[in-house]
Amino acid sequence: MRTFRQIQPILAALRSHKTAVILLVLEIALTMAVLGNLVFIVYGTIQRSHVSTGVAESQIGLIQSITVIGEQSQGTTAGDLAALRNVPGVTHAAYGGPPLWYVERDPVFLDPSRQHPVAQMYEFQGSQDLSRTLGLHIVEGHDFSDDELPVLAKMSMSKDFQFPVLITRALADRLYPGGNALGRVLYDGNAASRVVGIVDHLRGEITGRPDDDYSMVYEYVVGAQNMGGGFMIRASDPARLPQVLHAAAAALQKADPAHVQNKLFTMPELRAKYFRSDLATGRMLLAIILILLVVTALGVSGLASFWVQQRRRQIGMRRALGATRGDILRYFQIENFLIVTGGVLLGALFAYALNLFLMHRFELAHLPANYLLAGAVALWLLGQLAVLGPALRAAAVPPVVATRSV
Amino acid sequence: MFGYYLDLAWRSLKRTPVLTGLMVLAIGLGIGASMTMLTVLHVMTDDPMPGRSAHLYTPHLDPLPRDYKLRDGSPDPTDDMTWPDAMALLKAHRGVRQAAMSGGSLLLRPARADLRPFYVSGRYATTDFFALFGVPFEQGSGWSAADDAAGAQVVVLSETLARKLFGTGKAVGQTVRLGEHDFRVIGVTADWAPKPVFYDDQTGTQYSDADLFFLPLSVAVDEKLQVSGNRSGWVHGDDTSLTSANMTWLQFWVQLDTPAQVAAYRQYLVDYSAQQKALGRFQRPPTNAKLYSLMSWLAHENLVPGDVDLQLWLALGFLFVCLLNIVALLLAKFLRRSGAISVRRALGARRRDIFVQLGIESALIGVAGGVLGLAIAQLGLWSIRQRPDDYAKLAQMDMSMLLGTLGLAVLASVLAGLLPAWRACRVPPALQLKGG
Repeated sequence: MRTFRQIQPILAALRSHKTAVILLVLEIALTMAVLGNLVFIVYGTIQRSHVSTGVAESQIGLIQSITVIGEQSQGTTAGDLAALRNVPGVTHAAYGGPPLWYVERDPVFLDPSRQHPVAQMYEFQGSQDLSRTLGLHIVEGHDFSDDELPVLAKMSMSKDFQFPVLITRALADRLYPGGNALGRVLYDGNAASRVVGIVDHLRGEITGRPDDDYSMVYEYVVGAQNMGGGFMIRASDPARLPQVLHAAAAALQKADPAHVQNKLFTMPELRAKYFRSDLATGRMLLAIILILLVVTALGVSGLASFWVQQRRRQIGMRRALGATRGDILRYFQIENFLIVTGGVLLGALFAYALNLFLMHRFELAHLPANYLLAGAVALWLLGQLAVLGPALRAAAVPPVVATRSV
Repeated sequence: MFGYYLDLAWRSLKRTPVLTGLMVLAIGLGIGASMTMLTVLHVMTDDPMPGRSAHLYTPHLDPLPRDYKLRDGSPDPTDDMTWPDAMALLKAHRGVRQAAMSGGSLLLRPARADLRPFYVSGRYATTDFFALFGVPFEQGSGWSAADDAAGAQVVVLSETLARKLFGTGKAVGQTVRLGEHDFRVIGVTADWAPKPVFYDDQTGTQYSDADLFFLPLSVAVDEKLQVSGNRSGWVHGDDTSLTSANMTWLQFWVQLDTPAQVAAYRQYLVDYSAQQKALGRFQRPPTNAKLYSLMSWLAHENLVPGDVDLQLWLALGFLFVCLLNIVALLLAKFLRRSGAISVRRALGARRRDIFVQLGIESALIGVAGGVLGLAIAQLGLWSIRQRPDDYAKLAQMDMSMLLGTLGLAVLASVLAGLLPAWRACRVPPALQLKGG
């Protein structure tokens, strides 16, 4: 009640400092707008960097062979894969690439005329055992069985051949909303595919958009040909993945010296590299957030200490008339709270406006309301912290000041 | 008077070191953050070929069918040119110089036993490429039009690649095995890497790439060498050979020295399109043909990544918050001196004098803030150079940005001082004195 009764005179006092108060409210409002959106962006980046691709990332390693030199070389891709599978610690091996690594993206159609693409999808292709090497979770239908796979050497480009494919749940729901996707036929730019199974998740890239999870997988049987490209292994023990990968690379080189090996990396390494730039941006934005808070706090405390100095006589008078130190302290704290509240209310508006602008220009998502609430709480705390010093100084003004002239 | 005001300002600022420090810090942080991002934007949109860019143009034709719809996220086929069109423009020879080109990536198998095979990216081009872009040579020279016509297997290496393959020895006359063919080295370019690689199509990493070899375009087409970049066809099931009339993949640049030449070339493009339309090959209006200057082409391609743009906006918003802060602090500071100001007014100072005096005080804060901002911007640029992005290595401040930083800081602080100074100079003379 006491506190409440104090508000009236505080508002009256603020009315005589209109310009300064408006500036302070504006500053807090802008801080809130920028702060809310920045935190939202940074948090979104961090969240995104934890989204799974849907494969057994901790167990997968890749050997990239840029080419095979020498036409007379004796190796075959089938032989290469057998050599990789024989390495101790390797459970599966396949020719093909993992997510986040140059995955082809093609439009998908529901009819062979290919007039209206329904969506863009990621296409994972590789040798037999690709789905098991990736460690896909099949939730409906069945995994590829070896007898249904096309043989690469004899792959007929006849118009009626239908590749057996796995598609993700998200793509199935997009293509056949509410319907059963199993057994249906879909078309990419070149070929027709029949859905034999549905996997829970498989993301070609992680951009944060829902169509990251629109993917299709198909396998073919590799045999006597000798190809460069990606060779994936899946290790049984994630902790030993780096050692197993190196052993596998050595085994591949021994089995088929014609390979020119270029890169060797594990999925966790690929993932770290994929997000390096985004996380660097996140760190920079975080730095801007901190600096922004500091600047705002400095501004609030600078103006407050000016007001304290300006009102020394009035403070002394109030003390002489019986106000306690606590009263004076609370006066400045309430004053600050009122100003910050004004700023926060205006700031919520600004934050939404800025968010709309950012959504329009940079494909940002909608700012959830709880970010505004968190921003408001942060600014209230910051304001109280900033005003504490000047308010304490005000409270320390002795009553005798009232009796002195300037 | 200026010296006197400067002295007054200096004394006034010294009297309140904490408040002054706060203001300098606020302006320094705001300026530092914005100049970091402005510098990044500046280096990314800078002229890649100063002195030459004004004469370089890129023509663009529109051979697409009338009902072709551009899909979201896929490249615009008219960004590039088809083989028949490029050859026609080349043969017409309407510019001072002209060249067709495309990027390519080939496996290089070094003769040296200690080097493993590796991929190199370079450029397939026609003879004028070197003269058109003013590529400097360290040894030898480019190839001739006759080499182009004959499909001669010759190559020009960049200095970096030549040194890697042949050390400091003479590279010209040596043989390099690229893909499945042997090429005779006829020249070595001195370090030459425009940033961005404006003549490439949009698929490359334009700020960190450089061409390591150059070879005749005719060889690439004859031998079906691997072409990098977009290959956009629009007839389903059509042949996808490089010479197809329904697929764009080439970049074309032309040198035009006078406005008259530019106008004539523009007309020529329209005429050519009209002629192709009459022949039934083009379907769209001939006026769709465009001629971009180098800088307007870069603007059209908009190479600046979204996150740089976003960060620039945020930095400017941040500067604005800092400025508001300074306005409030200056207001407090100036009005606190109401007593002194009213005495000066009583002694005959005009409002204008007070205004100028306080303006100089704001500017002084701006200078100090600018110096601090410069240091902070260097720190910011350093942190950007540590980033993995393609453009990161370019983030360096040049002289114009350096002066720009100081200028912006002073301008910002004077602007911030306007309202407080205006309020302060309206203090009535002597009236304040009575209050006591």
